[in-house]
Amino acid sequence: MNVQPTSMQQVKPTWSGVVRYLHATPRAFLPMKSFNELTLVAGRGIEGDRYMIGQEAGFYSHKPEEGRQVTLFEMETLEAIERDAKIKLLPHEHRRNVTVEGVPLNHLVGRRFWLGATLLEATRLSFPCRHIEEILEKPVFDPLIHRSGLNCKILVGGVVRVGDIVRPE
Amino acid sequence: MAKPIKTVQTVVTAVDEPARGVKRLVLADPDDWELPPFRPGAHIDLHLAKGLVRTYSLCNEPTDNRRYEIAVKCEADGRGGSRFVHEELRVGTALGVSLPRGGLKTHDQALNVFIAGGIGVTPFVSAIRDLREKGRTNYVLHWASSGHPVLPGMVADAFADGHVHLYNTAIEPRPSLAAILKQYGDEAGAFCCGPTSMLDAFDAATASWPAERKHVERFTPPAFARDDNAAPYTLVLAQSKKEIVVRPEIGLVGALEELEADVSVSCAGGICGSCRTRWLEGPPIHNDSVLSPMQRQHEVMVCVAGCAGPRLVLDI
Ligand code: FES
Repeated sequence: MNVQPTSMQQVKPTWSGVVRYLHATPRAFLPMKSFNELTLVAGRGIEGDRYMIGQEAGFYSHKPEEGRQVTLFEMETLEAIERDAKIKLLPHEHRRNVTVEGVPLNHLVGRRFWLGATLLEATRLSFPCRHIEEILEKPVFDPLIHRSGLNCKILVGGVVRVGDIVRPE
Repeated sequence: MAKPIKTVQTVVTAVDEPARGVKRLVLADPDDWELPPFRPGAHIDLHLAKGLVRTYSLCNEPTDNRRYEIAVKCEADGRGGSRFVHEELRVGTALGVSLPRGGLKTHDQALNVFIAGGIGVTPFVSAIRDLREKGRTNYVLHWASSGHPVLPGMVADAFADGHVHLYNTAIEPRPSLAAILKQYGDEAGAFCCGPTSMLDAFDAATASWPAERKHVERFTPPAFARDDNAAPYTLVLAQSKKEIVVRPEIGLVGALEELEADVSVSCAGGICGSCRTRWLEGPPIHNDSVLSPMQRQHEVMVCVAGCAGPRLVLDI
C-alpha cells in the first residue's frame, strides 16, 4: 500500500483554548495573587506585575528580557504532574501569569496568538527555576523541565479576563 | 548590570522595646502585599549589611501573613548583628530577608511541652499563638530566664490560662529538664530553644526518646545548601585573581557571589545553559544536563557543579 502524507493545504490543524486563571505579584518571592482580570500593556507587561518593563522587581529582573512581558502555563501540565509525579501544584504556585486550557504552548514559540482581546507573540519556552522548589517546598523542578510554560511579548494590549478565548492569530 | 534580587524586600513598619535590651520589629511588604508563608516558629535571615546576615525566629502566627514579627535581644559582646538591629533599624528602613525556613510541627492531640531559655522563647510565642488560634490548649511552656522574662506580654493569654511556668535562674537553680519532662509521660512532644547549655541538657534528657517526639530549635541552613558532606575546596578565579574556600554550606554559587564574579545564574538547576564557564583546573564534578562529554573537558555549569580535587580554577 502506498501511504501518502496528508497535504498541508488540505488540512490545517488548529486549536482553541480558554483562560482559566490569572495571577500577578509585584515583587520577587511574594505569593501570586489571583485576579479576575489583568491589564496587559503592549510592549511592556502586566500592570502590577514584577516583570512590567520599567518597574522590574522580579527574581530575573537583573536580566532584562523583552520577551517576558507575560508568561503562560498549561492547565494540562498541572494535571500531568499530579498524575505522573504525584505532586499537587496549584495554579498560583507555578508563578506564571496566565493558566490556559486547550492551548499547546510548546508549539507556539515564534508564533502569534490571541489571548482574549490581546495579541501575543511567543518568544521562548520558560525554564523552571530551582528557586521555585525553595518557595514551595515541593520537588517540582524535574517534572517541570520542558513544560514550564511560555514567555510572550504583548503586541496588542488590553484587558484579559478569566474565561476569555485563546486562539491562533 | 542591575543586582539580582535574592531576598524578600521588606520595610520595618514598627519598632518597640517591650523589655530593656529587647527590641521587637515588624517587617512588611512595602505595599502590604502578603508575604511568603511560614510555619509556626520558622526563622528568617535578615540581610542587615554586606556580609552581615543574621537569623531570627518569627514570633507571630502563620495566619498573620502580612507581617514578620521578630524580637531581638541586644548582645553587647556578640558578633554585631543584634547591635546593628538595635542601633540602625527604625521604622521605614528597607530590609531584605530570606524566605522563612524550618518551624515547629506541633502535635494535634499529645501535649506540646515547650522549654525555653531567655529570648529563646520566640519560636514558641509563634507556636502558642498558632495553637490558641486553632482553639487548642494542649501545650505548656517552661521558661527559664536570668532575672525577669523578656517578653511576658507576648504570651499574656497563655500566662493567664496557667500554661506558663517561669524560672528565674538569677535567684534559683536552673530547672532540671529531666524532671520537667518526666511529669508529662510517654506521649508528650517536647521542644527546646535556648542557650547551648540548655540544648545540651535537653538532648541528654531526651536521648532515649523517638525523634518525632522531640525537637531542638537550631537554625537550619537554606534548602539550597545541598551536599553538606562534600569536602571544602578552594575556588580560584584565574583572570580576576581572587580566591575563596568553598564550604558546603555556601556552595559554588554562593562563593562566586561572594567574589562578585560575573557569572549569570538563571535556572540554578543545570538545564538552561546560562552559567556556562570555562575551567582550567579541578576537575569539576558535573551535575548538569547541558554539556556533552567533550564540552565538559573545558567547561562547567557552575550552578550545580562540585569539585573532585582541592582546587577549582575557573577562567574568569
Ligand atoms: S543557571 Fe541554568 S544551567 Fe546553570
